[in-house]
Amino acid sequence: MLGVLKGMATTMKHALDGETFTVKYPAEEPEVSPRFRGVHKFSQERCIWCRQCEKVCPNDTIQIVMDDKRNGEQYNLHIGQCIYCRLCEEVCPVDAILLTQNFEFVGETKDELAFNKEELKNVPWYKDLDPLESREPDRSAWVGEGEGEVDYQ
Amino acid sequence: MVELLPETVSDLIGIEGFAVEFLAAIVGAAIIGTIIMLQTALAGPWAKRKITAAFTDRISVNKFGPWGVGIIIPDSVRLLSKELIVPEGADRPAWDLAPLVIASSALLGFAVIPMGDLGPINFHLADPEVGLAFVFAIASIASIGLVMAGYSSNNKYSFLGGLRAVAQNLAYEIPLIIVGISVVIFAGSLQMSEIVAAQQQTLVELGPVAIPAWFAILNPFAFFLFLAANMAEVGRNPFDIPEAPTEIVAGFQTEYSSVYFVLIYLGEFIHIFLGGAIIATIFLGGPAGPILPGIVWFLIKIWAVFLLTQWLRSALPRVRIDQLIEIGWKQLLVLAFLNLFLTALIVGVLAA
Amino acid sequence: MSLEQPRPELDVGETPDGEVDYDELAELLGEYVLDRESHVNAEGFVIRPDDVVAVLDILKRDAGFDNLSCVTAQEYYDRYESIYHLKKYDDPTQELSVVVPTLRDEPVSQSAASVFDTANWHEREAYDLVGIEYEDHPDLRRILLPDTWQGHPLSLDYNQDQPQIVALREHADPMEHRSEVPDEQDTMFINIGPHHPATHGVLHLRTVLDGEQVIDVDPDLGYLHRCEEQMCQQSTYRHQIMPYPDRWDYISAGILNEWAYARAAESLADIDVPEYAQIIRTMSAEMCRIASHLLAVGTFALDIYGDFTAIFMYAITDREKVENLLEDLTGQRLMFNYLRLRGVAWDLPEPREEYFEKVREFCTYVPERLEEYHNLLSANELFQMRVIDTGILPPEVAKAYGCTGPVARGSGIDYDIRRDDPYGYYDELEWDVITDDGCDNFSRAFVRLEEIRQSARIIEQCVDLLEEWPEDEREIQSNVPRTLKPDADSEVYRTVEAAKGELGIYIRADGTDKPARFKIRSPAFCNLQSLEVMAEGEYVPDMVAALGSLDIVLGEVDR
Repeated sequence: MLGVLKGMATTMKHALDGETFTVKYPAEEPEVSPRFRGVHKFSQERCIWCRQCEKVCPNDTIQIVMDDKRNGEQYNLHIGQCIYCRLCEEVCPVDAILLTQNFEFVGETKDELAFNKEELKNVPWYKDLDPLESREPDRSAWVGEGEGEVDYQ
Repeated sequence: MVELLPETVSDLIGIEGFAVEFLAAIVGAAIIGTIIMLQTALAGPWAKRKITAAFTDRISVNKFGPWGVGIIIPDSVRLLSKELIVPEGADRPAWDLAPLVIASSALLGFAVIPMGDLGPINFHLADPEVGLAFVFAIASIASIGLVMAGYSSNNKYSFLGGLRAVAQNLAYEIPLIIVGISVVIFAGSLQMSEIVAAQQQTLVELGPVAIPAWFAILNPFAFFLFLAANMAEVGRNPFDIPEAPTEIVAGFQTEYSSVYFVLIYLGEFIHIFLGGAIIATIFLGGPAGPILPGIVWFLIKIWAVFLLTQWLRSALPRVRIDQLIEIGWKQLLVLAFLNLFLTALIVGVLAA
Repeated sequence: MSLEQPRPELDVGETPDGEVDYDELAELLGEYVLDRESHVNAEGFVIRPDDVVAVLDILKRDAGFDNLSCVTAQEYYDRYESIYHLKKYDDPTQELSVVVPTLRDEPVSQSAASVFDTANWHEREAYDLVGIEYEDHPDLRRILLPDTWQGHPLSLDYNQDQPQIVALREHADPMEHRSEVPDEQDTMFINIGPHHPATHGVLHLRTVLDGEQVIDVDPDLGYLHRCEEQMCQQSTYRHQIMPYPDRWDYISAGILNEWAYARAAESLADIDVPEYAQIIRTMSAEMCRIASHLLAVGTFALDIYGDFTAIFMYAITDREKVENLLEDLTGQRLMFNYLRLRGVAWDLPEPREEYFEKVREFCTYVPERLEEYHNLLSANELFQMRVIDTGILPPEVAKAYGCTGPVARGSGIDYDIRRDDPYGYYDELEWDVITDDGCDNFSRAFVRLEEIRQSARIIEQCVDLLEEWPEDEREIQSNVPRTLKPDADSEVYRTVEAAKGELGIYIRADGTDKPARFKIRSPAFCNLQSLEVMAEGEYVPDMVAALGSLDIVLGEVDR
């Protein structure tokens, strides 16, 4: 019987201390840590079309279309199937890709979450993020790729 | 003898005759029913959430109205606008009647409960000489409703839930009533107003504070037994076995949706309040209490019992059906008889 | 903490310093051994497909190989092959692979289910995915894929583009005959799941009840089968496989799973990991273990207490706190993708002091909270009444079913890969392996609660080490080739202690940058198999409790 009372006392203690742990989302936005990996942001100005991100992506979220002479470059992003592994950001040699802090985006169908490079310029959830400014000071914490055969292009 | 509610109403109308008395009785019943339904509506969607949230460190509903009280409105719209799904092969009249039986049996119990006064009005519908027996009889009709629901749903989980409900109610109804009888021995009457009146004397004076002779204070052992048995009677932790969501999905109410679900849901809450009302009446001096009007004290007492059920829910595990039956028949029944015997002995000695 | 348990006598084929003497074992098996292969982790004995029972029986009885850790099946261009990965519960570093090749035209092999109960499901999976038929198997049918599936997806000639939609008229209720219980019996067949509040996901238990008593229970898996093995076989070693382990045991045990792949691939490709990275790995892995055990305890409480229990919310609250720490470190709350082959992705977050302080604070907070959990759970008489002496799993049965992790330790088996086959930084730290002899639902929950305390101890020591680590030696990754191509035909089977038990990865390389065969030994899969023993004869609530105490994650069971 004593154990039962102990348990009851424990829950009552929690009820009376008035502390709550849940957050008032979406009224109050939860803080995410600086390293948080949210939705993918692609900066066309920086991209050198090396196709490393396409190659490393585990599930074909990124699709790049172009011919040998780099004509008709297309950068298609199927954000609905992104698994936020951040490998594309890690391999990108020119910091053209950034996984932002933003995790809120919606689409009514899967098709709405597929974007080509023109559409990617004005998706609402990018806000005004500059890929270079965010992620300091942690950017230096990344380690470059190892030596050896470079197998892209 | 204080006037009952129908009498007050017929006095207001001012005409004699059976038709008027009948009308007055209906008006009185409507008033009591409304009060009970109102607080059930408050308890169901809102208070339960808030209380559970307090125990689990959460915020819970806070958007609609002050402290989220308005959640009742979206909740009722949500529940009532859902499709009423009738399972294939359901045993129709029984399946339709079950929610009504569950809800109405609990509500009917309040007919004989003295709920205290507010100014000139005494919230007490009827005061038959067999009041306590009536309450117990009515309250246990709910288990017929549970069996009907479980048996007619054509669902194996419901069926198991129905069977559990019968087993549980058999195991607990008897100790509950026997503990109730010990109160009757004290009070010398089955009439609710007599039982309440018997608890109004002062037991001891501690300075300015007069401890009343509530049966909970006179016989805490019986009070505790009754509380435990009542928890099984209303089917809440640690005895929410007929529902047992993690074992048999939702037991007898698995197949119910929309209006029928609302009826069962409300019925369960009313049942908790009825349990609280019985406890308040036979152990806690009914509507008695200082300063505040009787009805307020009465509501405080039944809400305290409601709070207790939610508290137990947060901290106690559900026992297994065989363990529950064992507790019921082998322990509680024995203790109930012991309590009855001792009470009779003490009352006999005191009287001699 | 002793790494070696002193044992009175040596098994056949064991050297005094705890190594396996393969020559002596080959001698013991005599003519059964046709050939010997060398795998990275152990030697493999090639035997004839109709000698399986005889060989495994000798190895189990005389050589002490009592743990059939995994059965890997694969198809080569000229043959099928089943590999039985054997280990010892006393010393998991002593390993042996029994390789059973079968003809390509007629892939029939003897079943090991009569020697090791755990082989039952492993062989069903091999039959299902690869297509090897096992003779004398008690119940050889598909396990992960639906009964109507055509072909075996991991066989080489399987047409990956073939649609698997079965028309309704062909789908003439495959369950019809299995769910039938003769009328004269006094029993009731009931489907528990796949949509049931207590099955922790999409598990389907075909249950036969007598009143409330469970007479027979047959788990039906595969609702969450996502071809994880196949996905890994189509991904590159270096980068693409690592995100997937997060999705096996997806409830916050990510880094533990990643480590399983990292350990296997690193020993296959012979990659060294810097010591500093090993400490970070150890710390983050133990954080995952805490998170995972908290959820296990919380959901177990949910099963026993009903859905208004406060314990579940308290456990979730604490789990959130660990997850905040993990988010600061890895950038995600569940799908970490933090480990890399050769190290970890990032160093600790800056400012380091602040992070250390947060972790320390959490480590001192854990024992306080454990006190509360013990008050709410293990000290509660009603809880004890419910779970003590229910769901009994005796140690010898647990071993036969290949149970590992808290399930085995709750049955009194002193077995923990972290100590017995050390990896990472575990052998340098002070901590205890928790065991309990109760063999019931209570013991398993109790072991998990106490392991949380030990994990907090490990984290604290890791923080101490990391704090004092000299700044210029903070090497988080070693240098490895950009494209990893392990030698052709090298094979490795490595296990780690994941949250649910022993998580093993078998990889066979074929000289390309993608594995030729990637096999996952899921601890939850093996543990779940023992449900049948635990549940039979018990009441429905006890079966639910037993299932909760096994702590399965369907993502890991079905893969």
